[in-house]
Amino acid sequence: MDKQSDQPSSPFLPMFETFRAELDEHHDRRERIVKASRDITAASKKIIFALQRARQINQPLHQSITKSNELHWENIRTQYSAISPDLQGQNAHRYSRNITGGNQEFMESLSFQHYLETQTLISYQDASARLAELGNPHAPVTLSLEDYVLGIFDMTGELMRFAITAMATSQVLPGSDVPSSSGHAESRPSGIAVGPSAEAMEIDMPATVSESREKGSRVHTRRRDVMQDLRQLRATLEGLDIDRSSPLSWDVQKKMGVMQQSVEKVEKALYGLIVRGRERPKGWMPDLKEEGRRGEVESY
Amino acid sequence: MAEKMVNPSIFQHLQSKIDEETLVGEELRDIVNLLEKQEKSAQAALSRAHSTPTPEVSSVVVAAESAIRYEIDTIQKLSEAASKHPYYKYNGIWTRNIQDACFTILLCGWLGGYQEVFSSSSASGQLLTIEQVGQVMKVPVNLKDRDSFHLTIEEYLHALISLIDELARLARNSVTLGDYRRPLQISRFVKDLHAGFQILNLKNDILRRRSDGIKYRVKEIEDVVYDLSLRDLVPKETTE
Repeated sequence: MDKQSDQPSSPFLPMFETFRAELDEHHDRRERIVKASRDITAASKKIIFALQRARQINQPLHQSITKSNELHWENIRTQYSAISPDLQGQNAHRYSRNITGGNQEFMESLSFQHYLETQTLISYQDASARLAELGNPHAPVTLSLEDYVLGIFDMTGELMRFAITAMATSQVLPGSDVPSSSGHAESRPSGIAVGPSAEAMEIDMPATVSESREKGSRVHTRRRDVMQDLRQLRATLEGLDIDRSSPLSWDVQKKMGVMQQSVEKVEKALYGLIVRGRERPKGWMPDLKEEGRRGEVESY
Repeated sequence: MAEKMVNPSIFQHLQSKIDEETLVGEELRDIVNLLEKQEKSAQAALSRAHSTPTPEVSSVVVAAESAIRYEIDTIQKLSEAASKHPYYKYNGIWTRNIQDACFTILLCGWLGGYQEVFSSSSASGQLLTIEQVGQVMKVPVNLKDRDSFHLTIEEYLHALISLIDELARLARNSVTLGDYRRPLQISRFVKDLHAGFQILNLKNDILRRRSDGIKYRVKEIEDVVYDLSLRDLVPKETTE
């Protein structure tokens, strides 16, 4: 064996130097992406926070909200266009784990705003196009399927907060009149009781709801509210069939429970709104603790 | 204004994409499962090095090379199937197995195999570079300009660590087999690799954790060399 035993340094050093350069480049790129992802997340959270000041849906946002959010959208644009060269070609997937946090939060704010403005869910294609616009025009950032789905899961939490705030402040579940093709029972607004007592209950309904319902019988529109939308979204998300071996499956399982809780929170709040109703004086709370009080209430 | 919040076509589209990805994953996993079986037989062939006297080790090399040939055929299939899709989207499916396949090739090369890819012909103790491993595997290495199947630097480094672990074991077993020269050769080789790993700026990931273990292997091998020199068993002509 012809080895140069006296050679002090490792013969492999040149090879490792090449590796070091490659790995350093990779780590630097990853760090830039992670940092941008964090900044995008923070800006998106601020946008969502401002959006929560909205009280109505299916109409343009109030100027005060769009104005304050302009700055944050601009910030998001800056971040995306800065890192879009780092996320091209095979690197789009190489760093997908590093950018997904920002992408999901972006997706959450984008879909929440889209819902407030149109009362519909933004499609994957439209959302991808919006993200592509933000990056470098020649090298757009890709929105992965995972980013989209997980962002939508998170958005249900914002819908919950929005619905509950609206009910607490104005005793009305936000909704809007939409064209109606048929009058099947499941398309009934959540706030309207179904069954023989519906007529009797109607007087107890918030004025806006009964009005729209009367109007609905004339111009073939019906009222669709956040509760119905959340339920449809829940059913749709639950219907997704994701292979257990896929990386998406794990994240979806985690978010599924949170999403279901959000829907139930709105259902409970709506139940409270209906059960306390309008026949009770404002601020009246049922005393559910003591059975003995029943006599008092009856004689009341 | 839509009648419903969620347009059903949105999720039909998503579902079909998810189904598509599931099918791709299944196709790739089938190939990788086959590769795993072949790796086991290659490793079984190579593990005979621990019980084969050094002069006869060429029989181990021949057996290992032919076992590894099956791995390479499967890697070809994998490369073909995987190159239709974004590399990093699915590489989690095969990266462990490619690391292991790379390790079997490195060990086989160290024992004296793959003479045809080494520029200078020599016996054992040689390190196949990442390019040479790629040549044996018949796949490109460290691809940056296009999105296709390849061997990554990280996978090669993982395989190097596995090689170091295996050589530490071989150093002891060589002594058992009466070869007192090989531990010195291994000691030198592993120290050189260790020096290489030390110049890398590894982040807190699995590669970092595994490479932290190299120093213990270095020490294990030094202990063997120490035991030999203490008893004056070190062959004189190769003493450092």
